[in-house]
Amino acid sequence: MRSNSDWRGSTRRNFARYLVLGGLALAAGSMGAAGAASAKDLHVLNWQGYGTDEAWATKLFEERTGCKVVHDYFNSEEEMLTKLRTNPGTYDVVLINSAFTQAAAKEQLIQAIDTSKLTNWKDLNPKLRDSTYLNTGGKTYGLSWVWGVTSFAYNTDDIKTKPESVQALWDPAYAGKVGWRDDPVEAVAFGAIATGQDPNNPADLDKVKQKLLALKPQLKTFWSSEDEWNKHLQGGDFEIATYWSGSAARSKKAFKLPVEFVIPKEGAIGWFDGLSIAANAPNLDCALKFIDFMVSPEFYVKWDTTVGAPASANDKANAALPADAFNRVVMGQPGLQERLFYMAPLTDDQRKQFTELWESVKTELGK
Amino acid sequence: MSASRHSASGSAASRRRWAVIGLTGPAYLWLAFTVLLPLSAMLYFSFLTVAPIGARVAEPTLGNYLDYFRKGFYLTLTGRSLWLGVWVTVLCLLLGFPAALALAKYVKGRWREALFLLVVLPFWSNALVRTFSWTMVLRSDGMLDNALQAVFPGLPHLDIMFTFTAVVIGLVHSFLPYMILTCYISLQAIDDSLLEAARSLGAAGPTVFRRIVLPLSMPGILAGTILIFVPVIGSFMEPRILGGRGGFMLGNVIEDQFTVVFNWPLGAALSFILLAIVLLILAAFYPLLRRNLQGLA
Amino acid sequence: MTRLWGTALRVYLAVTLAFLYLPIAVMVLMAFNQSPLYKLPMVWDTVWFEKLVDNDRLLTAAAHSIVLALANTAVATALGTMAAFAFARYQFRGKTLLQILLFPPITIPWLIIGTSMLVLFFWIGIGRGLHSLLLGHVALSIPYVVVVVGARLKTFGPVYEEAAATLGATPWQRFWRISAPLMAPGVIAAALFAFAVSFDQFVISYFLAPPGWTTLPVEIYSSIRKGFTPEINAISSIIIFVSMGLMLVFARLYRFGGER
Repeated sequence: MRSNSDWRGSTRRNFARYLVLGGLALAAGSMGAAGAASAKDLHVLNWQGYGTDEAWATKLFEERTGCKVVHDYFNSEEEMLTKLRTNPGTYDVVLINSAFTQAAAKEQLIQAIDTSKLTNWKDLNPKLRDSTYLNTGGKTYGLSWVWGVTSFAYNTDDIKTKPESVQALWDPAYAGKVGWRDDPVEAVAFGAIATGQDPNNPADLDKVKQKLLALKPQLKTFWSSEDEWNKHLQGGDFEIATYWSGSAARSKKAFKLPVEFVIPKEGAIGWFDGLSIAANAPNLDCALKFIDFMVSPEFYVKWDTTVGAPASANDKANAALPADAFNRVVMGQPGLQERLFYMAPLTDDQRKQFTELWESVKTELGK
Repeated sequence: MSASRHSASGSAASRRRWAVIGLTGPAYLWLAFTVLLPLSAMLYFSFLTVAPIGARVAEPTLGNYLDYFRKGFYLTLTGRSLWLGVWVTVLCLLLGFPAALALAKYVKGRWREALFLLVVLPFWSNALVRTFSWTMVLRSDGMLDNALQAVFPGLPHLDIMFTFTAVVIGLVHSFLPYMILTCYISLQAIDDSLLEAARSLGAAGPTVFRRIVLPLSMPGILAGTILIFVPVIGSFMEPRILGGRGGFMLGNVIEDQFTVVFNWPLGAALSFILLAIVLLILAAFYPLLRRNLQGLA
Repeated sequence: MTRLWGTALRVYLAVTLAFLYLPIAVMVLMAFNQSPLYKLPMVWDTVWFEKLVDNDRLLTAAAHSIVLALANTAVATALGTMAAFAFARYQFRGKTLLQILLFPPITIPWLIIGTSMLVLFFWIGIGRGLHSLLLGHVALSIPYVVVVVGARLKTFGPVYEEAAATLGATPWQRFWRISAPLMAPGVIAAALFAFAVSFDQFVISYFLAPPGWTTLPVEIYSSIRKGFTPEINAISSIIIFVSMGLMLVFARLYRFGGER
């Protein structure tokens, strides 16, 4: 039987052993990590799985330009801003939703883009490219990249007739079968559209709140990412839910789910994303080349046809898609643009107000 | 070294003081620099209108703290989070203590170590993957539902997914090992001869338990309670995934102030209110704790 | 009577372990399911393990997590045990205050701590990096170590050390020959907790890791957006099995529960 003194010795030995091991391992790890960075690196900040990190694309880009693409990700726009604020001089290219570009420029987190260096500039749709959301003071702060629609989608196996109105989300026939995105701005926007108001500036917020509270018998659960949405639909957690156009295309094509996207007669939320260049970007040259590549038809067509993507801001790229592509059929449908309410920039105070409203609604919904 | 026994009491006292500083110093220096200092900055922010970053002008205000009482839903959420904390902690205690007792006193030899380690192992699985696995078990037409249907065909489908119950199950599962382990290390320290002596003096099983085992295992129970209750009331991931519509907790609101909207002062204020609540609860129970732990030191 | 109790309790322990391992079993099972969306019924396939071999990103992240957790465990256990010992065996002014200061790291959501750490670290110039990560992880683990080791020390009481003192043992001897072996199960439990805290730590790693350097939890949480495939299950299963193996080897070689 081992005595206490044997144990004492082995405790001490183990302690020392682990300490040394841990220290060595950490040193080795840090040396490994340090060796990875190099001068020709291009740092990109984006959502994960949102085009810029497609393996074939970064490989092609590196072969052509010698710039190695290194990614860092965020899970919300607010997080993206926090990362820009707390990591100065780290990032080159940043994906910023057009509703946030002005605020980022004002806070001097991004720099003006020299559009004369972009070969695809002339082919971009002027409505998005020259939008005041991306251009201020005669300078361009964001390169319009992709655009999409936020509306709702449904499971075609469960629901046989296509709903044409946004009120379908409040239809008692679908009680307990509705999914909803957990986002204050989107929630308020849906509430506004459903009560006939402007989603960017609802006149009667109280009416919006009441409409959202009426979701109580309808909602089963919230979702906040495309992947969650797919899994919920797959598992039968909901049959009809708010969703994004590009994601609906992907769910249908890549995941083979029975999904149909609806843009109701009352209208839907439009949005577009821009590629911006961070202030004090360490690799400006590579950054400009990269964003030029991203809006090119060459990249876009392959991206949409192999993986599925939102609609391109480059008319030429859109036109190069196969005739039955989602982005040509659904997004190119006549009369669509008139029904869209594009997401406008919001002030910090407006955002706080909407957030508080949504939080109090969620509290009620949870009772 | 032996001279210490002969030296004046002043020198022994100073030696003791150095021992205390030497022992607590490193840990607290580390904590001060990495946690307490940054949190002081956050505490300062909580009294401002906006975080003073990016050339924003911030003004002092008590608004963030007052809003907590003015806007009813914060109080509702706090109540909900506390209720969740109580449920999970009590269940962990009721379920975990007997398991710890079994492990400490009724399992012998090498088995004990092996089982002890097996209890710890689930800790090392990723919380998200675990929680997601629970959704597969608990959802309607999920594994549990199918198992029940197989045994009792014709039973109505299980509907506990996206409810408070599902959240409790998920959290109890995540935190149960804490209670089992802390109770185990206390129970295991109780000398068997103490229990034998009590029995030989005529004490029956329940009496031995109530008057010897329970008081001596109090430190373990207490440690487990703290390590479970405190994180649970601030939790947001399991409530979100398992609670669906009803999964909105105080932790989610705090998170929102950093990930959805740029309102660090409010997030900070809510966190410190949470901390204050925890300390208040502790202070309320302090006399009870003191009495229970007195016989030990 | 005692024998009946004993058996009942042992059965109960087995049931509890079954409960603890239920989601783990599901997790391992799903690693062998062909459907990327976790669709049932199961179709057996090892495709996710095969994909894992090529998934450099995930494998590197796992390696990083392990290294970081080991370093964290060594440092946090050492620091925390010392502090716990001071609390249990000495009376001094400010003791209560120091004990209260252990609460902020476990009460305040890690998101706040992470953000404030990031702001502070940038302000003083040390920024993000492995050093920041370690600073953060250890800080979060220390309270767990102190509480767990403290509970163990409290139960034992200073009676053995005092007895040794009257027999002429020096403080150093008292510590290494009496306190340390008595504390051992508590220290081991604390070390295991510290490892778990670091290994599964998402928030702090997310904020403080240098860009391009991730850990397993960060990869898993981030993949919620991209697509949470059973590759995650595959790597989690491997980790569980390897840990189980290591632990059983450890249990065979070292006995830390005392002789009984």
